[in-house]
Order: sequence, then C-alpha cells, then structure tokens
Amino acid sequence: MAEFETFIEASIRQWHGVEPPNDPGRRLAADLAGTIAAFEKLRGTLVFEDEPASFEAALQATKETA
Amino acid sequence: MMTDLADLSMTEAAEAVAQGKSSSLELLQACLANLDATNPQVNAMIWEDREQAIAEARAADEKTAMGGTIGPLHGVPMAHKDMYYQAGRLATCGSALRKDWRPAVTATVIERLAKAGAYVFGGLNMAEFAQNPTGHNKTFGDCHNPWNLPYITGGSSSGSGASVAARFNYMALGSDTGGSIRLPAAACGVTGLKPTQTRVSRYGVMPLSFSHDNVGPLARSARDCARVLTVIAGYDPQDPTSSREPVPDYESFMDGDLRGTRIGVPTNIFLDGADAPVVTAMEAALAVLAARGATISRITLPLMDAVATYGGIVSRCEAAPIHAEWMRHDPQAYGAHISGRMYPGYALPAAYYIEALARRGPILRRFAKEVFSQVDVIVTPTIKTCLPTLAETDIDHGPPGTEHKFMAVSSNTRPFNYLGLPAISIPCGFDPNGCPIGLQIAGRPFGEGRVLKVAGAYQLDTDFHAARPPILENTIREKKGTTA
Repeated sequence: MAEFETFIEASIRQWHGVEPPNDPGRRLAADLAGTIAAFEKLRGTLVFEDEPASFEAALQATKETA
Repeated sequence: MMTDLADLSMTEAAEAVAQGKSSSLELLQACLANLDATNPQVNAMIWEDREQAIAEARAADEKTAMGGTIGPLHGVPMAHKDMYYQAGRLATCGSALRKDWRPAVTATVIERLAKAGAYVFGGLNMAEFAQNPTGHNKTFGDCHNPWNLPYITGGSSSGSGASVAARFNYMALGSDTGGSIRLPAAACGVTGLKPTQTRVSRYGVMPLSFSHDNVGPLARSARDCARVLTVIAGYDPQDPTSSREPVPDYESFMDGDLRGTRIGVPTNIFLDGADAPVVTAMEAALAVLAARGATISRITLPLMDAVATYGGIVSRCEAAPIHAEWMRHDPQAYGAHISGRMYPGYALPAAYYIEALARRGPILRRFAKEVFSQVDVIVTPTIKTCLPTLAETDIDHGPPGTEHKFMAVSSNTRPFNYLGLPAISIPCGFDPNGCPIGLQIAGRPFGEGRVLKVAGAYQLDTDFHAARPPILENTIREKKGTTA
C-alpha cells in the first residue's frame, strides 16, 4: 500500500476509530490526493476582500429583485 | 377512468376535487391501481398505509361536500421520499439501520402540505441515507426506471421520480444535496425543483449535508412545483436556518412571456463529454425558448474549479460525523458504495472545511456579479450523458473505476448546491434507449419565480412532461390478458 494511503487510513483510525469498510472506500480515500491537489491549486486565487463572508448575506445581496 | 384520473397533473387533480368533478377517493384509487400495476417492476414504493389513506380521502370528500375551507392541495394523495418524518410512522431513510424506525416529530413541510389539504399514503424508495445519484439500494432493492427498467432512475430521490412517472403519485417531496431532486426528475421524465438554499425548512427531514440539503417537489409540471413551493416555502422557527424572505405566489410568474429574458448556456464544464442526443435535445429546447422571446447567449461560468473542490469538501465533511457511530460499529449495514464514499470524509482537515465554507459567500457574490449581469438564467443539460444502466453504475459489484462513472451522473447538478442557487429540471426529449433527457434551468438566489416562468413557458409549447412511460400500457395490457 502506498505511503499516502497508509497515512490516511491510520489517521482515520486514530482520530475517528473508523476502519476502511471495503475496497471502494480504500480507492476513494486514495483519491484524496486529488482533492489535496485541487485545494492547492486554489491557493492565492481567492482572498478575504469580499466581506462579509457570510453565505446568507451573500444570498440576500445577490437575490432576484425584479 | 381510473387511469385517466392518474394522468392528471397535481394542480389539475386538486382543481378536479375543488370543482366537484372528482372525489379524493377516486384520485387515491386511480393512484393505487397504477401502483399495483407498476410497482412490482419499478420498486418505487417501500411501504404504504391504504387504510389511513382511504380514511383521509373520505374525510376530505366529506369536507368538500360540506363546503368547508379548501386549501390549494385539498384531497390530493401523495407519497414522499422516505426521510420526511411523520410522528409515529415509518421513516426508513432507505437504510437497514432505520428499517423499523418511527420518529417522534413531524417535518414542517409535511405539516404545511397537510394544512393545504394533502395527505400521505406511503413512503418511497430512495438511495440509502440519500447518498447516491443512481437509485441503487441494497436493503429495499434498486429502484427501476419506468421508461426502461434496466436503467437508473437517478437519485437519491429515486422513488419520488419513478412514482410520479409511473402515474401512481401526483407529487413527491425529494431532497437535493448534490442533485437528488433534479437527477431523478431528469431520468424519469418529470419536473423537479431544488429551491434556493434556506428557502424551505428542513425541520424533521433526515440530514445529509446541512449546508447543501434542500427540500423540494417532483411533479408532472412546473406549475405543480410552483404550487407546492408556495405552500412549503417560508421561515420556520423550528429551522433557524430558514429564510425570512417573503413567499410570493409562484404560480403568478407563469405567464409564458419570455420577452426580455436572457438565457446563458455555459461553454465550460457542463457540456464536456456530453452525448450528442443530449446536446441536440438541449439545443431544440433553446429554440423553443427563443421562440417565446428569450435571447440566448453562450457564457463562460467563472470559479467552477473552486465550486467543485469546495463543494465536495463541504458535503463529505458534513456527512461523515452524522454517521460516525454506525460507521464505527456497523459499517457492513451500509451498501459498499455508501460507506466507501463516506469513509474519506473522516480524513479531511477541519481547516479545509472551514475554508470551503468561508469562501462560499465571496464565491457566490463574484459568480453572481459576473454571470447575472449578463444573463437571467443558466440552462444546461441536467445529466450530460445518455442514462447509464443500474449495472454500469453498480459500485458494490462492479470493477474498480465504476465509482467515477457513478459520480459523473451528478456533475452538472452539484455546482448549484454549493452556490445555493435555485434550479429546476424539466423533461426535454428522449435518448436512443427511450430514457428521458432533462433540461436544467438555474437562477439567482430567491429567483424561483423566474426559473419557474421559463420552465412553464417551455411546457406550454411541448408535451414531454405529459408523456406516459410504456410500462403503463404494457401492464394494463397484461392485466387485461392481451399481448403487446
């Protein structure tokens, strides 16, 4: 098993007491490498200038008004 | 005669009762006749309570006869995705873990529908804990598409879509966390509306991902959805996340006039890898909308990578802790594709989750500023490919890699959950296998009126939403002892 997958399974076991339930679970956990890569790609592309950050406030600010 | 009544849309059925043209008991009997004929093959309903339903139908008819106050859904029988709590009645949530579970509370939306005159006659099949986009279910059996039985119904509100298509249900509530109303609506050839995030109370509804969960209707037409939304929307003190935004009469938007309406068709993401019959159906639908006065333009939607990445993190992080106890002690009670998909959620760091939530407001603002300055609504295929079969998307028994085909089903619907936008799916054609194709229309926050207006205008000029699946003709023939 690759080092990344071993680390993920150990982390989940340590922090949550949950074991890999099956092979699809193992494969999808291994796919977290892709999630991390996607997250890394977003670094620097978004900043906190658009305050307030509240999603509910954004719904109101952008709502249909006609 | 019975079959004719079951062919009515929900609003037509309500009006038939209100005008004394039909009784509630006749509507119920028409639904039950089609249920008996089709459910053994479709497997959309997993429990029913005929005795109570007949009593409620008779009570509704007595009230009609006495000239009592009649709500907008008076006397209409309904069944919902089996995750809407009704005190003392089954709510299996599609899982072996809740096979016999009976909640102590009733969902606000169920109470609001009842106040409008509707009653519930059963519970509908669904993806286990609302967690797949296909309709597979290891405990209650897979739900089958009424148009072509080996094909998926879409999920997670599988029974909601299939029951309305098979004409034994006038309207079913579904829930939508990543497309779970719109996908079965598209796959089963019915109309399904995911409202704006916060528009409808979630009190008494099984949670999956509370930032993305939405309650909404699947029915025969956009007008049906408009009437239901008018009844169920609005602030609920039992769900403090529900919006205080005023609730209009959504049917009042449906005048068919699209002059001045700007429709945008994304050039990125939503058509990547799309099948030709789906694209052809969408383009034909756009022509219908243009003939009604809408202008069509092609646009590039911004921030789609961020929406996909952050949205996935929010969904997985919120689902995992809800199920942690069962995942620790009884993981084999889940279908492999359910526990397998939840498992990675335990490894995501809290900082990722918090960042994904914190970015949601700013991303919506930027998206709205760039997109809704150019167009009023966004139109895409609901599912970009022809429907796959249940076998092709069966993670539990399929080869490695099946999970990617499985997840591709919902790629066009998930973005609107993170963005919180209202979106509807309406039928707009059929693929070469005879399965329906869905058209997705999304709008601004609280823009359900405009979304319904566009959908309703399309349905004035087309009849895909009124088409009957062949299973109805076949089962009726079989019952009469004739051959096809």
